[in-house]
Amino acid sequence: MTFAAPLARRPAELSRRTRLRTLASHLVGSPLNLALTAAVALAALTVLPGLLRWAVLDAAFLPATPETCRATTGACWSFVLAKHSQILFGIYPFDARWRPALASAVLVGVLIYSVRPAAWRLSLTSIWAAALVAVQILMGGGVLGLTPVPTAMWGGLPITLILTVVAIGGGFPLAILLALARRSEMPAIRLMSTVFIEATRALPLLSILFIASIMLPLLLPEALLPDKLVRAVIALLLFASAYMAEVIRGGLQAMPKGQYEAATALGLSYWQTQRLVILPQAITLVIPALTNTIIVMIKNTSLVLVVGLFDLISSGKSALADPLWRSPATETYLFISAIYFVLCFGFGRFADMLERRNKVAR
Amino acid sequence: MGLSRVVELIEHPRKPAPLPGRPGKHLGVQALALGLAAAVLVVVVWTTASNLAARGIPLGADFLLDRAGFTVSETLLPYTPDDSNLWAIVVGVGNTLFVSALVSLASTLLGTLLGVARISDNPLVSGLALLWIEGVRNTPPILLLIFLYTLWWQALPATGVLHPLPGVLASLRGVAIPALIFPWPPTTMLAALLAAGALVATAGGLAGRFGRDRRRWALTVAALLVLTLAVAAAAARRGFAVNLPQAAGADFRGGAVITPELFTILAGLTLYTTGFIAEIIRTGVNAVPRAQWEAARALGLSPPNVLRLVVLPQMLRVILPPMTSQYINVVKNSTLALVVGYTDFMTVMGTVINKTSHAIEGTLVIVGVYLTINLAMSATLNWYNGQLAVKER
Repeated sequence: MTFAAPLARRPAELSRRTRLRTLASHLVGSPLNLALTAAVALAALTVLPGLLRWAVLDAAFLPATPETCRATTGACWSFVLAKHSQILFGIYPFDARWRPALASAVLVGVLIYSVRPAAWRLSLTSIWAAALVAVQILMGGGVLGLTPVPTAMWGGLPITLILTVVAIGGGFPLAILLALARRSEMPAIRLMSTVFIEATRALPLLSILFIASIMLPLLLPEALLPDKLVRAVIALLLFASAYMAEVIRGGLQAMPKGQYEAATALGLSYWQTQRLVILPQAITLVIPALTNTIIVMIKNTSLVLVVGLFDLISSGKSALADPLWRSPATETYLFISAIYFVLCFGFGRFADMLERRNKVAR
Repeated sequence: MGLSRVVELIEHPRKPAPLPGRPGKHLGVQALALGLAAAVLVVVVWTTASNLAARGIPLGADFLLDRAGFTVSETLLPYTPDDSNLWAIVVGVGNTLFVSALVSLASTLLGTLLGVARISDNPLVSGLALLWIEGVRNTPPILLLIFLYTLWWQALPATGVLHPLPGVLASLRGVAIPALIFPWPPTTMLAALLAAGALVATAGGLAGRFGRDRRRWALTVAALLVLTLAVAAAAARRGFAVNLPQAAGADFRGGAVITPELFTILAGLTLYTTGFIAEIIRTGVNAVPRAQWEAARALGLSPPNVLRLVVLPQMLRVILPPMTSQYINVVKNSTLALVVGYTDFMTVMGTVINKTSHAIEGTLVIVGVYLTINLAMSATLNWYNGQLAVKER
């Protein structure tokens, strides 16, 4: 086995025949590669037939009833087919489930829209505000003839997305301020920002959520105490802002000094310099790292399960509690993993694509 | 202007004049920020004090010495419910560190293999590695743990045991592995281990003073060899044994038993972290230009020496900072033990706070412990990083 050379010829430049020959040589060319290929093939032969039988051939699909499921030895996909709306939307009223579905679409849309540098204008804040109001109206109801639904009945995918979008969207402006404060010339400001960022980053998110759930009732007067969902949102928002602040600080440090000097020479004030010259460039530089942080946040929202919020995993668990079915946990968790994978992987690929296009455009 | 003045200006250029700032305004801003923070703090402290008074909860650290009174199913350090809350917390920290250390070690080894597999030119091998890496990077670890834990109860036979490997048994009660029985108490073992480490380090250091790198390696290896032989000989005389587990129904007799909870948290976190470490290793290998391998070969170095003297030092410089944050992430992710029911530090703290209602003091303990662990880890690894850094003369 050899390591791929950094400057290897691109496959596109080779003819199909040469490509086939290269592939063959990589598969069986050297003794080690031959052994590796044989080992992988052997493992595939032992694992794949059983897996295929379980997942497809012996699996139960339609009709989506407990009987089809009980009659088979394979995977019980009929459970996922029958319960998908409960897994996705929790105990939200059945007739109104188009509302959380639409709200989820709005949230994913606004997240995708905002990653593009072209969208970074002042109008973005109003778009976010409008999207959040729309989501609140759709989910909560009470106006426009929609029946009111209390937050205690919200669950599943919309919770995951609301937590992600609010934590990222609200955390981002805070992160910019924290990053600027940590690079400030004023020692008091710098110290406060540094202490906040480092303390937040040193603690596991689970302990922050736990502390928020036990400490807030003590720290705040009874009247100001927010409900469980808002508490989790605040904890996630602060957590996300500390991590994003460090990413943005990286971008700020990469800015050459000349940019600051040129801006000063033009007579721009501190805030004008940051807003017009430094931040747009610095943030564009760190888009890949920011994408990573956003993906980590999507994954992190799953932790709200421990403070008793109904995210995707909890709603999947409660769907499994139905005594009529033989509780096909593996299939359900695979379904939920697939949703997370599509969200995270899709978002990552989308950001990669933007990054490449951005590079070409320069 | 004399020549000496010009030279002086070139060597010590004058600092540019400070920008016409307004220091008074800055002081005002700072005072305002500090004042605001202080005001918020005062309000919070005041409400907290009145809330605590209303609920009749006293502040104080006395609860730490009270009897804990709850059970912990498996611990590294000896523990009974009659021990104090403080000792229960120490036991929890011990469990957290135990899990983190094992996961870090296992995922470093596995992650190196996986990272190398990822850059293999065999498309099957690199494809499988990619599948693993992208799978764990795009799904939450909590889901992986819940999934593994459920799988455990579904995949294993309801009665009887499996023999996945020689000497290893698995059943619904857990996994049993062969146990080494040493004829000495654990404290003696720990002291011996520390002494051995110090001895090897001294041997290496002494050899290093003579300058020759090769001799230093030889001496270190020799010291280790002598030490191992001495321990083995002493152990054999005192009755050293390997205790193989045996099946008794679904239960085990003998061996060391890992409960399903501990096994899930170890296996799940290792699977998860391995994916991230593999990516770091891949970046590290790619960071050393091919010309470095070729140049080292051209100098006549043998392949192991190329790796040890030329490639690894350059790779480690790239790898160490992200590895540090991965290890810290392992400690943080070990809090997920909560969802599979293994008792780690956070679980102990949750129980202690629920039982004693000392939420404020408990929170301080949580923050203090995690800050200490993380700062200690990053300080150690940063020191090592400093040792590796390019020393320019």
